[in-house]
Amino acid sequence: MSVGMKTMSLIALAFTLTAPILKGADSQLPAIIDSHIAARAGGPLSARSDDAEFYRRAHLDLTGIIPREASARSFLADPAPQKRLKLIDMLLSGEDFARHWSDLLSVELLKRQNLGKVPLDEWTEYLFSSLKKRPRWDIMVRAMVAATGLGTERPAMKFLGTGGHQRMTEDIARLFLGMDLECARCHDHPSVKTWEQADYWGLYTYLSWTKAATNTSDKKEYLVEVLGKREIEYQSVFASVGDATGPRLPGMKEAAIPALAKGQEFSRPAENGLPAVPKFLPRQQLARDLTSPKNLVFARNSVNRFWARLLGRGLVHPLDQTHSANPPSHPKLLQALAGKFIASEYDLKWLIRSIMLSEAYQRSSRLPDGASSVPPESYRTALPRALTPEQLLTSVLRATGNRQRVMAMKAPADVKFDRRGYFTGTNKELPRSYTEIQAIFIQTFGRPPGEPETEFIPGLNQSLFLMNDRLLLSWLEPHKGNLIERLGALNDPGKIAETLYLNVLSRLPGESEVAELKAYLEQNTGRTSSALGELAWALINSTEFRLSH
Amino acid sequence: MKPETNPHACLGPEHGMSRRRVLGVLGGLAGFGSLLNPTVSRALEKKEKQVCLIWLDGGISQYESWHPLPGTRFGGPFRSIPTRTPGIHFCELMKHTARISDKISVIRNMETKDPNHSSGVPRIQRGDPIDRGVVYPYLGSAVSKLLGPADPDLPPYIWIKPGNGGFIHREAGFLGAEHGALALGDGTPPVHIHRPKGISPENDEARNALRKKINERFRSTRGASEIDAYETSYEMAERLMARKEIFDDSKLSPKDRDRYGSHPLGRHILRARQLLEAGIRFIKVNSYHWDTHGDNFNMSQRLIPQADRPFAALIEDLEERGMLDNTLVILMSEFGRTPNVNSRIGRDHWPDCWSLALAGCGIKQGAVVGKTSGDGAWVDGTGYDIGDLFHTIFSVLGIDARRERYLYKGQKLAIAHDECKPIREVMA
Repeated sequence: MSVGMKTMSLIALAFTLTAPILKGADSQLPAIIDSHIAARAGGPLSARSDDAEFYRRAHLDLTGIIPREASARSFLADPAPQKRLKLIDMLLSGEDFARHWSDLLSVELLKRQNLGKVPLDEWTEYLFSSLKKRPRWDIMVRAMVAATGLGTERPAMKFLGTGGHQRMTEDIARLFLGMDLECARCHDHPSVKTWEQADYWGLYTYLSWTKAATNTSDKKEYLVEVLGKREIEYQSVFASVGDATGPRLPGMKEAAIPALAKGQEFSRPAENGLPAVPKFLPRQQLARDLTSPKNLVFARNSVNRFWARLLGRGLVHPLDQTHSANPPSHPKLLQALAGKFIASEYDLKWLIRSIMLSEAYQRSSRLPDGASSVPPESYRTALPRALTPEQLLTSVLRATGNRQRVMAMKAPADVKFDRRGYFTGTNKELPRSYTEIQAIFIQTFGRPPGEPETEFIPGLNQSLFLMNDRLLLSWLEPHKGNLIERLGALNDPGKIAETLYLNVLSRLPGESEVAELKAYLEQNTGRTSSALGELAWALINSTEFRLSH
Repeated sequence: MKPETNPHACLGPEHGMSRRRVLGVLGGLAGFGSLLNPTVSRALEKKEKQVCLIWLDGGISQYESWHPLPGTRFGGPFRSIPTRTPGIHFCELMKHTARISDKISVIRNMETKDPNHSSGVPRIQRGDPIDRGVVYPYLGSAVSKLLGPADPDLPPYIWIKPGNGGFIHREAGFLGAEHGALALGDGTPPVHIHRPKGISPENDEARNALRKKINERFRSTRGASEIDAYETSYEMAERLMARKEIFDDSKLSPKDRDRYGSHPLGRHILRARQLLEAGIRFIKVNSYHWDTHGDNFNMSQRLIPQADRPFAALIEDLEERGMLDNTLVILMSEFGRTPNVNSRIGRDHWPDCWSLALAGCGIKQGAVVGKTSGDGAWVDGTGYDIGDLFHTIFSVLGIDARRERYLYKGQKLAIAHDECKPIREVMA
């Protein structure tokens, strides 16, 4: 503990000295996090992660890929006490952060669906450019919810898809309020007393004026608002009488719709195929009400989701079950995180940085001495997290030293790769572009489009893929400059083991691991190259590699 | 995010997440067990109930199959022939099934709702339950969820179809991707079930031994049980690979190939027999292009024998093997075809009065039920809806559809339409 405390004060000191992104925001959050976790620990904490564990974890979280061998070596050798802080700041300011987090957010927000008129690459580019700067989560969400398709913010409209009222209602409730209200469309939630059908339709009313319309002059589609109903009537499938609600967020008062005289409702007449613009725009109002500092539900849900991304579990868990029967594991911590997040102006990088500087984040995934299990909601031990399909692909490529070659592959534009045939065996070709390879990994390791990626269950088809996929196995054959070729040029088993482990698992091998490798190579003299491929295969197929831990 | 117990999850306490986590490991292939490789299928030995659904996509014409009405206004050019069941006639295109009519039941008064393929196929294969705002599973996913695998080493739901295969999750609906189908494109399993030629069994074993040692080391200092799920997923893969001979059709006799036919539907139904023998719980065989809007009679003459012959052969073979008592065979489409013959000599979609056939597993032998108007256009009296068929199917499989419920996000959902009932007159 004393080491931990010392580190903490060092971190706190470093914090006040550096970090330009901190401007005005509270620098005490890491210590606050740790005091709340300690207060409810109920048992011993795991030790601090070792440098290799931390280095790999931080890279996966901030850049989506395992570190390079050379950089891992120099980090492990670096004696500077503030090296973790420096690393976090360096990675947060890099383009890889913006690239990786635009992937993460896109998958979360769109559920791997490609709906509406905005091209997918314009949307990810939009997220990327927001994340490169000082991303403010309230502003990002406001832009997405309010999007009409006008101006430079047009790509934000991607989030709304085709503007379907039910889909928008359910996505906004789940993603921004932590409420899976699907059941409440037809009746009050059967087991969650505080989720009422009125909550669903209150949110729905805000969105019900939205409509897709095409501008006849520029031929683009916009999600505009037309004069709609002030109240929506709904009826439970279990009741004979209905009810009605105006626009309302759960737990809040109905938004007032200004009463305007007939003929006075519009700010602009209809033109170019677009309908007249009402003076009151409920979706614009929703975007403001939702992200207002007064709406603590939004702030709490936001910090809970980012916390879960980095710690492997939400303080409210599952993430979309925010209600009175499912209280947070650490209510005061959630409160504090939400309050500080609002005070930081919803500064996403500041939040990520603060969480990563906590001891809770930096703990080892090894159990505390003597413990055989630790309740996950105690955060006493770091929780392992499955790699996303994108993390897995980039990390396998980097581990095997094939990344540059594969990223540079360009398939002829006129060749369409038969991906289905690839999985059934009728297509004997290997994919010839990175995009196709990524699609193969997403199909194998991702959830189906439309299903939120809230949990990962290792599946039979995934292990079959990792065991027998021709493309993956081809990366474990010697090619110019790749891992297997480089290992083949080494003679000393100790050196081979060190290079192999640093490249694949981003750590140095233990003694027994060196001995195991040596024995394997001795059993396989005369087929060294294949044996090296098998050793690398075993590490890539290991649970240690498949997890961020 | 890691898997976690969610007391508010759809699968609720009794179908809790721990069970789902175990099943989920199978990713589209729920539930395996021991590593034996028995000569007699374990499912057979234990008399597990199995299902083969033969789906003629597009809609087989009832007039040209189960309900011939030659000489009537809509009857068409084909004759009817007597069957083994006294007084019952089938269309002459069904001569093989006519021989075994005493082993099957035919329902001639199906009366369903949807005249469109795009909505009709899902509606019918989901049993058209009362709309509860969720996406219901197709029959195969439902049965594999409700009964689990018949042999713990093998996937519960296999779908044999023309074209491509793979792990197909979309039929699982709200049950989640892990209850989807392992699809065999043209009868062939996914390519990843095969170890590439370059890797010998010995080297494969050696590399897996390495992997296991690395995992044990990692696991020894960590407690999280989800880590074990990774190891389990490899054990499952090894078991399925060890049983991949069930997908090998090279040993099927030329005589059988001839009896079932060399066309895709015949080959696929023969393949289904092989997989039923191996112990697969639910097999769906799809055949396409039954949508005879034009040239209905020539198309029927070509297509219907392709279903007739292997269907009859399957029933005979299952009986000969002592499997028919526990294997339900269903032959059906999403609807029938119009009485009226259109200007292109075709028949269009007709959900108002159509026919299907059932056999085995508690289905009456030799029953033909359902009164229709004299011209076959309308049901005389009350017809059966698809919900009634689902109640029948669940009932003969030993599932009480009035009591058994899915749990989804805390709500209990009927597994079949609440207001429908089993069709007693086809049940033994």
